[in-house]
Amino acid sequence: MRRILILATSAGLLLAACGDSNADGGTTGTGATGGSGGAEAELTVSAASSLTEAFGEIGDAFETANPGTTVTFNFGPSDGLAGQINEGAPVDVFASASPTWMDSVQDDGPGVTDRADFAQNRLAIIVPADNPAGIENLNDLTEDGVQLVLAAEGVPAGDYAREIFKNAGISNAALANVVSNEEDVKAVITKVMSGEADAGIGYVTDVTPDVADQVTLTPIPDEVDVIATYPIAVVNGSQEADLAQGFVKYVLGDGQQTLAEYGFLPPP
Amino acid sequence: MATDSRRSPSTASSPLRRGRIPAGFVVLAALGVALVALPLLGLVLRTPWSRIADILTSETALTALRLSLVVATTAAAISFVLGFPLAWVLVRSTFPGKTLVRAIVVLPLVMPPVVAGVGLLAAFGRRSGLVGSWLYEWFGIQLTFTTGAAILAATFVSFPLAVLALEAGLRGLDERLENAASTLGASRWYILRRVTFPLMGPQIAAALVLSWARALGEFGATITFAGNLQGRTQTLPLAVFEQLQTDTDAAFAVSMLLILLAFAVILSLRGRFLR
Repeated sequence: MRRILILATSAGLLLAACGDSNADGGTTGTGATGGSGGAEAELTVSAASSLTEAFGEIGDAFETANPGTTVTFNFGPSDGLAGQINEGAPVDVFASASPTWMDSVQDDGPGVTDRADFAQNRLAIIVPADNPAGIENLNDLTEDGVQLVLAAEGVPAGDYAREIFKNAGISNAALANVVSNEEDVKAVITKVMSGEADAGIGYVTDVTPDVADQVTLTPIPDEVDVIATYPIAVVNGSQEADLAQGFVKYVLGDGQQTLAEYGFLPPP
Repeated sequence: MATDSRRSPSTASSPLRRGRIPAGFVVLAALGVALVALPLLGLVLRTPWSRIADILTSETALTALRLSLVVATTAAAISFVLGFPLAWVLVRSTFPGKTLVRAIVVLPLVMPPVVAGVGLLAAFGRRSGLVGSWLYEWFGIQLTFTTGAAILAATFVSFPLAVLALEAGLRGLDERLENAASTLGASRWYILRRVTFPLMGPQIAAALVLSWARALGEFGATITFAGNLQGRTQTLPLAVFEQLQTDTDAAFAVSMLLILLAFAVILSLRGRFLR
């Protein structure tokens, strides 16, 4: 019995190892032949977490338009994603919520090609549907005892929020109310949705139909608002450079309508 | 559990004990060691040793270290204060549903920490928490985003370790010694202090150290339930996580500090882990 168990485990490990090398061989093969249609290919896309819903849909549409292609998304904070790529994570396409982290991959990491801005986004105050602290505008965020949640510094949504506070001249008072610096903008929305936080700063696109009944969005006045610009690019060293380029083109083309449906603004 | 694990009657003299080791075992054992050793080696090599003193004395690291010590020590203390009576009840009494109680108490050991965080929200959240909503409505007390929440999260995950260690200690105790003290007129508190605790010394130490170490490493439940704010809820693991996004060197340096603390824990319990 024991012997069987050990044999089974070793066999499993061996199989896993073989599977891996096969997969590698497979992708390199298709990359080398450069065939654009039909072949099995996997594309890894690291994208800002604010793109989760829109890119999910764009990915499905891209797979349909390119049979045999699988798009795997890695959603997270742009700074964290850039860090992973710069550490050598095998990523084909990077879509960042700020030019800063695309610059980081371009200058300090493997470098990029086909870089283009593909969308813009606005920020907003996001409160629980019942708005327990009665937040109506930016100044309300400075009132004593307001439980405010932001994305951490370095995360685009966190940096934009701090910039807005600075523009509005409320940095000290608002930042004093911050009770948590979250990993990414989706974590901010989660804390607001649970009703534990009174308010958070996120993107207007974060109030998706799924959460629309649990959170309310308060716009930020134009004169202090920051417009987030989203760049996308093919990461150098991609094993699927052609396909990656195809994905970037798709986002800039057919994908624009999906992005608009999710509330993103067209690129500058 | 630990007390009756040596069932084989002649372990020491068994002919199988020494001698030929199956070749397959050597390979698998080496793989096992590599699995654990490689990440550790990676950490050692990536740690910015020349900058480590600067990083670990930075405000972020010191604040997180201080908070971590407070959180882990408080969690270990609560685990002991609540865990000792519980272990006592579990070892020295029988009641219906005892197995179930034990299963529930041990569950956090094998529960994904993020699930623990969600559970803590469901119990202590101000909005929909079972207890938390009352606390908030009646007394205006909100636990989430406070150091108390970080301590609660750390206690939740470390409590079972304390209970298990204390249970093992109580089970191995010769009750006749306590009975003897009792017949000589010692009060219950006196017996506890002068007989029971001293006899259980190693297990009490193990309970405290193990629960302290587990509390020190707690991450998932904390970030879900308590949030992440420097000086209030940002413990060392949360600081590592945040710095990993921006200052990788700092993340590696703080990770190394946590590894060294964990190593110290293993050394302090060498009777338990190392032979």
